[in-house]
Amino acid sequence: MFESSRREFLKRAAGGLGGLALTQVPFSERSLLSWLGNACAFAAVPNLSRVEARYYQKLEHLEVECRICPRKCRVGDRERGYCGTRENRDGTYYTLVYGKPCSLAIDPIEKKPFFHYMPGSTAFSFATAGCNMNCKYCQNWDISQVRPEQTENLDLPPRALVKLAREKGAPIIASTYSEPIVFYEYVCDTAREGRRQGLRNVMITAGYIQPEPLAELCKVLDAVKVDLKAFTEKFYKEVVHGELSPVLETLKGLKRAGVWHEIVYLVVPTLNDQEGDLKAMCQWIMKELGPDVPLHFSRFTPMYLLKNLPPTPVSTLEKAHQIAKGAGLNYVYIGNVPGNPYEHTYCPNCDKILIGRMGYTILQNYIRKGKCQFCGHPIPGVWK
Amino acid sequence: MIIRSASLQTMPKPRVVIIKAPKFQFQPGVAQDSLMDRMLSLAMTKFTGKADPRDAWARFFNPKSVVGAKLNCLAGKWLSTSLPLAYAVAQGLKSVGVKEGNIIFWERMNSELKEAGYPLNYEGPGLRCFATDTNGVGYDSDLTVSGEVGSRVSRVLSSYVTHHINLPLVKDHTIPGLSAGMKNFYGAIHNPNKYHDNHCDPYVADVYSLPPIKSKNVLTILDATRIQYNFGPAYKAQWVENYNALIVGTDPVALDSVALKILEDIRRQKSMPTLEKAGRPVKYLATAADSSHRLGEYRLTKIEVIEAEVI
Repeated sequence: MFESSRREFLKRAAGGLGGLALTQVPFSERSLLSWLGNACAFAAVPNLSRVEARYYQKLEHLEVECRICPRKCRVGDRERGYCGTRENRDGTYYTLVYGKPCSLAIDPIEKKPFFHYMPGSTAFSFATAGCNMNCKYCQNWDISQVRPEQTENLDLPPRALVKLAREKGAPIIASTYSEPIVFYEYVCDTAREGRRQGLRNVMITAGYIQPEPLAELCKVLDAVKVDLKAFTEKFYKEVVHGELSPVLETLKGLKRAGVWHEIVYLVVPTLNDQEGDLKAMCQWIMKELGPDVPLHFSRFTPMYLLKNLPPTPVSTLEKAHQIAKGAGLNYVYIGNVPGNPYEHTYCPNCDKILIGRMGYTILQNYIRKGKCQFCGHPIPGVWK
Repeated sequence: MIIRSASLQTMPKPRVVIIKAPKFQFQPGVAQDSLMDRMLSLAMTKFTGKADPRDAWARFFNPKSVVGAKLNCLAGKWLSTSLPLAYAVAQGLKSVGVKEGNIIFWERMNSELKEAGYPLNYEGPGLRCFATDTNGVGYDSDLTVSGEVGSRVSRVLSSYVTHHINLPLVKDHTIPGLSAGMKNFYGAIHNPNKYHDNHCDPYVADVYSLPPIKSKNVLTILDATRIQYNFGPAYKAQWVENYNALIVGTDPVALDSVALKILEDIRRQKSMPTLEKAGRPVKYLATAADSSHRLGEYRLTKIEVIEAEVI
């Protein structure tokens, strides 16, 4: 019965090789390329990078320990870390996403959101696949919770990215959408090149990073928006697969380094909207970061693995706003509710609207030389 | 009066068959080996109790079956599912009328298949062999959820095949402790990197419980011709034992429990600590057997193990 030869097996199995294309096109290539317009020279490529990663330790038996984030993945040969973007090959750890963005866009800086950083500016925004957390409500999960071979990646090394940003007239480069910490090397080198060419650099992150790489990053970043997911370790463990305490250390590190930072807190009904937790968080911000850190309470929308909860009631967001103001924070916002009065920036001294907003649009701006036009009260931020 | 439901009556023990061939010699690039053919035929007849291998295969497959066979090719040509086993499986399937074009050997990435020595063939005549990353294959666009796992499943498994055979290896793995049958399905989802915390527990059990896997995988054949008994899953030549066996069964938990016993025995013979003492306890087996998963039996005393040898 089993008389076929090896040659026959190989011949038969190889029969259709001629027509086999091995490229991967799971996501929309056309939209990305059409958006790039004149930059189509940067053709979409399916390949990954193989650039040695920074911040890792070589161990015995070809293992490595990643030191980028507090997870400190111990990774065997031919395996990847939790983020899926770093791979151990023969005891050397590589980033697979250096210069390989899967998402590019020009966004208003308000979309990040930054409300006290260059209002009305545009940010050339980029991301690669991957994330070092796994939030059950992630809105970008189709790029953050996949491996980089499952996304449509462009070949856009730092210098080319900066050139493109300049061509598009964006004064700011933003690493965002997924989690820039997992494309750390790409962020660092792009920011360094951007700064050299007169652009500014911002990062949108969950802040789950080790102090040493953070300190290095702070040398080239101008502003950071941190998603503070909750104020309990329980939530971090169960809902986003991370830890709270390193994120708090990141916020303190940003303050020490003098990098402008704003905080977003996505209020998820029943999971992180307890009054006591919100009070404790606001008190911590007051004590450790001061009253002038902008705090954005954002509305949750059912998404990804968390579709069984309703959108956050506006009343819950307004209650959170009230708690934060009561704790002494000066700049508290409500996000993802266009038209809400707490989208505006108010002067904490005269209470007048200084920056009026509707969604991502600036309606008016009465801040002059960093001060309230009406009463002269200084307003913290980076205004030009 | 006590009324017992049928499910509470004595259930037969799950059966696991181990067939050894001391003279088998693995060689990369060799696609067919008569000793392997005999090992598999004997394994199938012992497992099913049928005298004729064809009848044994017919218990699982029919001429209309489209059969996927997930290989394990992570570790390159020296430690991947052996080509002679794939060949023998194909012969067994063909013996009951499954068409060659309806037999698909597959992996995550074509690069892994090529490195292991498998010739790629997506749509040409003959046996098919391709990976999920082949153009037009990919993963489901929707997530499938099972316990703590939410993943896109390879379309090879969810869309292409009606039946599935799992063809993994037996390895020590520095995170879950054991990489054998159930862990092989990490290669069937888009985000395996998310499921290595806590020694992969409960994730291995949750992944196996994903409906396309649990419902379609009808047979597991562990390629235990070589066992990586330390510091897997990558190939480390100094810690590979030529065990020269196939392990066959349908209960995924029982199979992995038997594989674990073999792995621990080898480690003990080599004066190595147990996996638990080495810091990688195999936690997922008890979870797979618990009341929320019910994937099979993990207690060795409750498993019928049949051993035989091919000379």
